[in-house]
Amino acid sequence: MCLCPIYYPSPVDAWSRNLALVLAVRREKLMLEIQNLTKVYEGGTLALNDVSFTVDDGEFLVVIGLSGSGKSTLLRCINRLIEPTEGKIIWDGVDITQLHGEELRKVRRRIGMIFQHFNLVKRSSVMTNVLSGRLGYVNPWRSAVGRFPKKDVEKGRSCLERVGILNQAYKRADELSGGQQQRVGIARALMQDPELILADEPVASLDPATSHSILRYIEQLNREEEVTVLCSLHFLSLARAYATRMIALKDGEIVFQGLPTEIDDDRFKEIYGEEAIQVEIR
Amino acid sequence: MKDQEDKDLKGKPRGLLSSWRFIGLLLVAIIVYAYGWRVTEINLGDLITGAPDIVHIVTQIIQPDLLARDKAYQTGYADFHMPCAAAPLAQPAASETEPYLVLSHTCGEPGEPLSVEGFNFRPNTRGTLRWTPPVGTKRSLQHFDSDGDGHFVLAISIPEVAESEDLHLIEAELRWEVGLPYPSETSRVVFDKMVETVLMALMATTFAIFIAVPLSFLGARNLMSAYRGTMIIYFVVRGVFNVVRSIEPLIWAIIFAVWVSIGPFAGVLALGMHSVAALGKLYSEQVESIDPGPIEAIRATGANALQTIIYAVVPQIVPPYLAFTIYRWDINVRMSTVIGMVGGGGVGFLLIQWVNLLRYKQAGVAVWAITVVVWVMDYVSGVVREKIV
Repeated sequence: MCLCPIYYPSPVDAWSRNLALVLAVRREKLMLEIQNLTKVYEGGTLALNDVSFTVDDGEFLVVIGLSGSGKSTLLRCINRLIEPTEGKIIWDGVDITQLHGEELRKVRRRIGMIFQHFNLVKRSSVMTNVLSGRLGYVNPWRSAVGRFPKKDVEKGRSCLERVGILNQAYKRADELSGGQQQRVGIARALMQDPELILADEPVASLDPATSHSILRYIEQLNREEEVTVLCSLHFLSLARAYATRMIALKDGEIVFQGLPTEIDDDRFKEIYGEEAIQVEIR
Repeated sequence: MKDQEDKDLKGKPRGLLSSWRFIGLLLVAIIVYAYGWRVTEINLGDLITGAPDIVHIVTQIIQPDLLARDKAYQTGYADFHMPCAAAPLAQPAASETEPYLVLSHTCGEPGEPLSVEGFNFRPNTRGTLRWTPPVGTKRSLQHFDSDGDGHFVLAISIPEVAESEDLHLIEAELRWEVGLPYPSETSRVVFDKMVETVLMALMATTFAIFIAVPLSFLGARNLMSAYRGTMIIYFVVRGVFNVVRSIEPLIWAIIFAVWVSIGPFAGVLALGMHSVAALGKLYSEQVESIDPGPIEAIRATGANALQTIIYAVVPQIVPPYLAFTIYRWDINVRMSTVIGMVGGGGVGFLLIQWVNLLRYKQAGVAVWAITVVVWVMDYVSGVVREKIV
């Protein structure tokens, strides 16, 4: 899988990118701070139990853990797709858990999200799916009748070009392969101009080769545009390859925080249970 | 037996045939089918003994009264006395060009033989010989064909009609078709009624959409399961759907024919009633099968509620809704062809009338029209649905 070079359609875009980089260097630290986050589901399931950690700007933080360990719940609490029961989520100096309505939507649009099952609208075109990433920015009444500003359509094309599927733009989303669909998912998140990306097991439904290509796109965003990434993964080998830092969840609690290299066999057994065997994904 | 025990010991299932349960079930099945055979009066012999009757009908149906041509007539007359009077009647005058009849004798008693000869008629043409008594109705005696010279000889026996002093009239009439064929009266009536049928289906489907769409949300479990009150609405709506749907449109047509009197409106109501329930159920099942993933993804982009519905819910619902609706229209066209039989208007009304009057050639036109329209609708709806979903 090639790592396609970043594409900029015009010198103006390149200029604005440089400006964005300058601004990015200058801007205040956003810092994501999770404080004592707890989530109890209606049935009484304790999904997250007093979870606290900090994510520095520009990190590629991988969350590992078994299925049901609370990874998805954690990520969804951060953009409030799931309401946390207790705790604070402070980002850019604001407690996200206290936001409502317009304020919450303004925060959400700065946080891109990538899903395990891509969560594309299957019957809509690839382009429509990508453009829906701009919904938080555009005039809601114009978007209600399916009209997007010309510059957003241009942006959509360049995002698709960037993930290498511009030629599929007007196909129906479900005509694409799994890897291509996830790239549409990435393009949709890119449309939001995200400062933080939440990736919920982005490669769990993909084959190993495609998994790497998808993760490389996310890594590229992380390195070149300094987008902070919070990514949950199943496989430790993938986590080791991409993470700048890792946390491990077990039964809703953090059992490990640190560098990928620090996870040895003992730690592994602690996270995944005594009977687990390491599977390599290359 | 030894083998059987070994198998049991190993824990393998017994052979199907040797199990008592199977034999019991087999016996029950035999009894049910034997009784069913008797109750439903199955008699395969009837298929053969009744065949001649159906052949007559089928041959007429496959030669439908589709096209007509104008008819031309040619007639010759002769007078006849019964009983014989004092002065014998003169024979019709012979002519070089005009058709005329010559009788073997011009008076007689019922039952006596009589020969009728025709000259100068149109060659090779089918005709009918008729007898018109001075009192009572005209009767047809015989069909015949003229020969190459326009000549024919017919041997008849004088019919049993009331005797009278007045003249009896013997009439030979030849008929043939002229000019180009044009759609018969039957075809035109069937066409009008077929248009009515398709429009009945369209109106019924359209009314059904307006009622079924809002109800479908009330009948979707995933939307209504939040509170006890909404759950009650869900069960009521679903219950009504199921009851209404289980009553065939034909039954509804009988009810509405009484209510709004016989005619296409009764048909529209009957089809609409059934369609509301059928579409409502399909629609709400579609709402229930919505993928929550896209909704989550669109919310995550910072979209508001309206945008979420338009971008995540509507695209998932509208194509299947359209497909179901077109399919329903297709079904309604099919149903509306029979609904006329119970007074619901449309082509079925004509069909049942003609069948009752034994006018199978006309019935054939209706049957063919139904076949063609249903086939076309089926094909078109199939193509359109494939494009949408």
